[in-house]
Amino acid sequence: MAQWNDYHHEDEDVDGEERDESGVDYKSTGRDSLVFLVDASKEMFKGEDEEPSPFDMTMQCVRSVYTSKIISSDKDLVALVFYGTEQSKNPRNSFKHVYIYHDLDLPGARRVQDVDGLRGEKGAQVAGETMGSGNTNLGEALWCCSNLYSDIKLRLSHKRLMIFTCRDTPHGGDSERDRQARTKASDLKETGVVIDLMHLMKPGGFDVSLFFCDVVSPPEDEAELGLQMEPCGKLEDLQKRVRAKEMKKRSVASLNLCLGEGMNVAVGVYITALQARKPNAIKLYRDNNEPVRTKTRLYHTQTGSLLLPSDTKRVQVYAGRQIVMEKDEVDVIKKFSDPGLELIGFKPMERLKLHHHLRSAVFIYPEEEMVTGVWSACVFTALLRRCSVRNVFALCKYTRIRNSPPRFLALVPQKEEVDDGQAQIAAPGFHGIFLPYADDIRTLDTTQLPTASESQVDKMKEIVHKLRFKYRSDAFENPVLQQHYRNLEALALDLMAPEHIEDLTMPNVNMMDQRLGSLAQEFRDLVYPADYNPEGKTAPKRKPAEAAGGTEKKPKVEMSEDELRGHVQKGNLGKLTVPVLKDACKQFGVKVTGTKKQELIDALTAQLTK
Amino acid sequence: MARSAKTALVLCLDVGFSMSNSAPGQEPPFQQAKKVIQKFVQRQVFAENKDELGLVLFGSDITKNNLAKDDQYQNISVHRQLMIPNFELLEEIQNDVHPGSQQADWLDALVVCMDLLQNETLGKKYERLNIVMLTDLNTPSSPDQLDIIIGNLKRAGITLQFFLPFPVDGGGSNPPHGGKALSREQQQGLEMTKQVMMSLDEEDGLEEVYTFSDAIEKLSVFKRVEKRPMAWPCTLTIGSSLAIKIVGYKAVCEERPRKSWSVVDAQTHQKDDIKRDVVYCLNDDEETEVQKDDTIQGYRYGSDIVPFSKVDQDQMKYKTDGKSFAVLGFTKQSMINRHQFVGTQVLKVFAPKDDEHAGVALSGLIRALDDLKMVAVVRYVYARNGNPQVGAAFPCIKEKYECLVYVQLPFMEDLRQYSFPSLENNKKYTPSEDQLSAVDSLIDSMMLVEEDKDGVKKDLFKVNHIPNPQYQRLFQCLHHRAVNPSAPLPPMDPWLTTALQRPLAVATRCQAPLETLKKKFPLKEVVKKKELKTSKELFGNSTEEPDAKKAKVDEEEDFNLADITEGSITQVGSVDPARDFRTLIRQKSLPFGEVCQQLTGRIEQLLGNKNMNYYIKCIPCIQTFREQSVQVGNADHYNSYIQSLKTSIPVRGLQEFWDMLVQDALTLINKDEVDGSTFSSHDAKQFLTAGEKKEELVAAVVDDTGDVDDLLDMM
Repeated sequence: MAQWNDYHHEDEDVDGEERDESGVDYKSTGRDSLVFLVDASKEMFKGEDEEPSPFDMTMQCVRSVYTSKIISSDKDLVALVFYGTEQSKNPRNSFKHVYIYHDLDLPGARRVQDVDGLRGEKGAQVAGETMGSGNTNLGEALWCCSNLYSDIKLRLSHKRLMIFTCRDTPHGGDSERDRQARTKASDLKETGVVIDLMHLMKPGGFDVSLFFCDVVSPPEDEAELGLQMEPCGKLEDLQKRVRAKEMKKRSVASLNLCLGEGMNVAVGVYITALQARKPNAIKLYRDNNEPVRTKTRLYHTQTGSLLLPSDTKRVQVYAGRQIVMEKDEVDVIKKFSDPGLELIGFKPMERLKLHHHLRSAVFIYPEEEMVTGVWSACVFTALLRRCSVRNVFALCKYTRIRNSPPRFLALVPQKEEVDDGQAQIAAPGFHGIFLPYADDIRTLDTTQLPTASESQVDKMKEIVHKLRFKYRSDAFENPVLQQHYRNLEALALDLMAPEHIEDLTMPNVNMMDQRLGSLAQEFRDLVYPADYNPEGKTAPKRKPAEAAGGTEKKPKVEMSEDELRGHVQKGNLGKLTVPVLKDACKQFGVKVTGTKKQELIDALTAQLTK
Repeated sequence: MARSAKTALVLCLDVGFSMSNSAPGQEPPFQQAKKVIQKFVQRQVFAENKDELGLVLFGSDITKNNLAKDDQYQNISVHRQLMIPNFELLEEIQNDVHPGSQQADWLDALVVCMDLLQNETLGKKYERLNIVMLTDLNTPSSPDQLDIIIGNLKRAGITLQFFLPFPVDGGGSNPPHGGKALSREQQQGLEMTKQVMMSLDEEDGLEEVYTFSDAIEKLSVFKRVEKRPMAWPCTLTIGSSLAIKIVGYKAVCEERPRKSWSVVDAQTHQKDDIKRDVVYCLNDDEETEVQKDDTIQGYRYGSDIVPFSKVDQDQMKYKTDGKSFAVLGFTKQSMINRHQFVGTQVLKVFAPKDDEHAGVALSGLIRALDDLKMVAVVRYVYARNGNPQVGAAFPCIKEKYECLVYVQLPFMEDLRQYSFPSLENNKKYTPSEDQLSAVDSLIDSMMLVEEDKDGVKKDLFKVNHIPNPQYQRLFQCLHHRAVNPSAPLPPMDPWLTTALQRPLAVATRCQAPLETLKKKFPLKEVVKKKELKTSKELFGNSTEEPDAKKAKVDEEEDFNLADITEGSITQVGSVDPARDFRTLIRQKSLPFGEVCQQLTGRIEQLLGNKNMNYYIKCIPCIQTFREQSVQVGNADHYNSYIQSLKTSIPVRGLQEFWDMLVQDALTLINKDEVDGSTFSSHDAKQFLTAGEKKEELVAAVVDDTGDVDDLLDMM
């Protein structure tokens, strides 16, 4: 089966590369920061055969991280620093052979352009001219990076440093410099910086144990150590590796999974798929294009005095009566139980239906940072294994925060899966599928229509067979988002026109027709009579009730106040149509914000019962 | 909305004296019937439909109806004409509808209701006319008019529903559970009821006769107004030359409340008294305000701020050419991970109702996909200005229909491909065989789907049958606040709490496996160790003292609060029944018997939950009941209640509770305490000890079985 891209452009020569980007969940706990520390020695510019040079690969990687940060986590800070350069550029130029290309800051259009300029052969030339290759002192470079972190005034929640190099002995056996670098690295680690090594292909192999094993941070778990040893030879691998590290896993909640009284397993709740949306527009001052701040104030219309939130209450109106509650009460009504996951029981997997879907699922994994992590993980692992083997899911009551009403989750076990390159495809843990309540399921009246015959079904099978492809969840880009960011990019960089985006959500009709050949016609002949036009407009049919009631626009009827009051008193305003109610609102100068019937009725009732 | 689809309904409630008689340990029929009515009206009020409602009481002390003449149709009062129900009606029912001391013929009442319905619906259109009769049938009635009445009901198209304290088929000479056999009047009444119902609807007539307790249970759930599903007509396309007409419907979607809270002034409760004002100001020290007209729209692009006017944006943005359901290709079902579903809805896609050809074509696709275990990956656009989605259309074949089930799939930008440390390769986390089998027995004991004797699978916990608890709670609180504006919010309805918990059977079954599991995974420190430690270290041994002090302060506060709010107490509520009872007795606004009845009603309600927490709540109620009865000098209510309670203990499995009563020495009230009592002090004590002996016997049996395990352990 073909993959989506191949399938989508069958006639083109496909380059199998997809830009790999992923979103990050940003919480207001502080900024994430990432420093790319890139080796700029001569070795980095030597490409083997047709492969791009390690430097080129690194720049492509940096670029894709920049753009993905802009789209999905635009509050994160990124820096680009080169070491082993001839020239030096850093505050006070106190560090030799260290070149800060980009300070720790938000990535922007200009920076993306800068990095673009360092790509390819031309880029190598530019790099040679501006920075050159010279002595290496990793210790100085790390020191310089630690200054970058300390110069930031913002609160940083996650600090990461990635070293890109293809040299396993950067100082060529200078033990003094090795020692210095190790010391500086441990200083950095002590301040909470995580150091990763993105080691690239080196003729004769890259030996981590020679030097870098003492520089990088210890891996999260024992198993990871093994797969980290192989250097990256391909851009795709490097991007995958960078991507996996670049994002900080953030849980949306840390809770106890309660199996029964006294059996609590500490777990984290993560979101692995959530719709990325266009960010909100911001208001700028016309004269200088600076953002303006908005302030919302509540004030009393009679006295004009400012009101505090405590000077207000909340109301809902039913049957003409205003029901008043305090803000706190409105919140506390939503409280059912303390935050947590409460195990109700287990059900065979077939009880989970396809249509049990309300919103993106959550992912449940043992909480790592709690004191009791090991114990929790052990119970968790046992539960995961047995659920998986027995093909059952755990039904849980889920309360995310204090005042959130409960939802029920089906916890579906997922076993860990790794690909040939030992990269994780599926993480071990439970997927929490949100289950609908009775209110969430709508009753549809269905009618039985004639079903297809065997020959008709067989013909369709041929069609299905012709149009097969291998679905991958990351194969489709969101054209709306992509267009939006291309537009912004073009405006920011004063480009004549935004870069063209390819809309992968559009069916490639020509290719499909070609593949189907005469099959489509054959199927049509089998199911449709000659005079039937499946694309023809169905006669506009309205629901009978509507046809009887409201198709004709009624002439405006002015209603007397007495009449209206009569309706209010009898509580049968609802009998009037929306246009009549709207007119009535206008007539009595009642301001309404909404257009829903109930809102109109409420507003009128409030006005006339004053 | 169809205007003619409304109902006119008359509630006909028996308030005659026999309705206050209750079998031992049971709520009097009157209280039950009142509850049915309250729940029903409450549901109507929140549903906000156009149905009109009237209320007729019979057996009332007063007479107020059009037909009353001489000695006919006496003690029947039309309490409320046909009107859209509102909170006033709910308040009237709560405060003004009390058991009367008279009796009236239920057939006469029925005639009054019919008269009411016919007079008030004259010239208006109703879809349905209905009379709901709530009675214990305990009045002699004359059957001679029966045929005429039935004839009139039929002619006017009026339907009837009966709500009785006992089941219609469990009558006769067999005493219904609770003890009391039906009286002769009731038996006769039941026969007549059957006759009326059967002649209105020969086959299903008796299905419209309900018991009070059934009705309360069913009416407890606030039903949300059904939304009419909106059809989304479109064309499914495969390439350029294959098209199938389809109609999509939202099948699953998180239902939101219809109304939202609006903000009002805390003093005047007027929405108009508050205005929200948004001002824009520069980011300078003076916070200089600028006019809205002087601002333009922009977006962040990383560190850049890009001015981007609405006009430009509309021109440059991604545009679609209208609605679409275009197949991009087909893929194996196994390639689609269900945990990657995004979006907030599930669509079901059918062929148009009247289009057989489209039906056949779509059926061809559905069956082909089903056979091949494949799905269609489609581009979905709701409308011209909608954003495109990529989603999967799964085949779905049911007995009654075939359709495609469409769910949205993620875009690349939506995914967060986190990797997590492996749990398999880490020795620290690897559970032993022993531990795994402990988990296995837990799973066994907690399976929610069981097969019964006949091989039919039964699901003990169907989430899709539970109404969204958020709205149930919201309406409960809204109702309470509407009728008792100054009272604190009520506690959660017990049925709702129970509905959200592990089913009792499962909870019991999993006890032992849970204990084993605890033993097999011995590290117990689950709570955040640090916090606990520090608090202990900080306070050391002195912790107990401040706690005790605090409790005392709390108690005082509670007492004060009670005094403040007592003015508004009109009935024995469920929050603090004992306090309400005391207050009501002191206020003397209601007759002593009525208040006692309310209290015992509450106690019965609490005991119905069979839970230690509720038992604990009942004890002070009974204590107060006794104490106040002695004070007032009326021991009858208390003594008869305790006696009936005692007889019902074994049947209702309340031994545990009785044990608590014995412990607190809540004896019968004896002659020395209240003159009217028929019990000597010895009798009163004897009464309790007799129960105790029985108790011990039962307890001993239980203990015996519990010992087996211990013995084995000792060996």
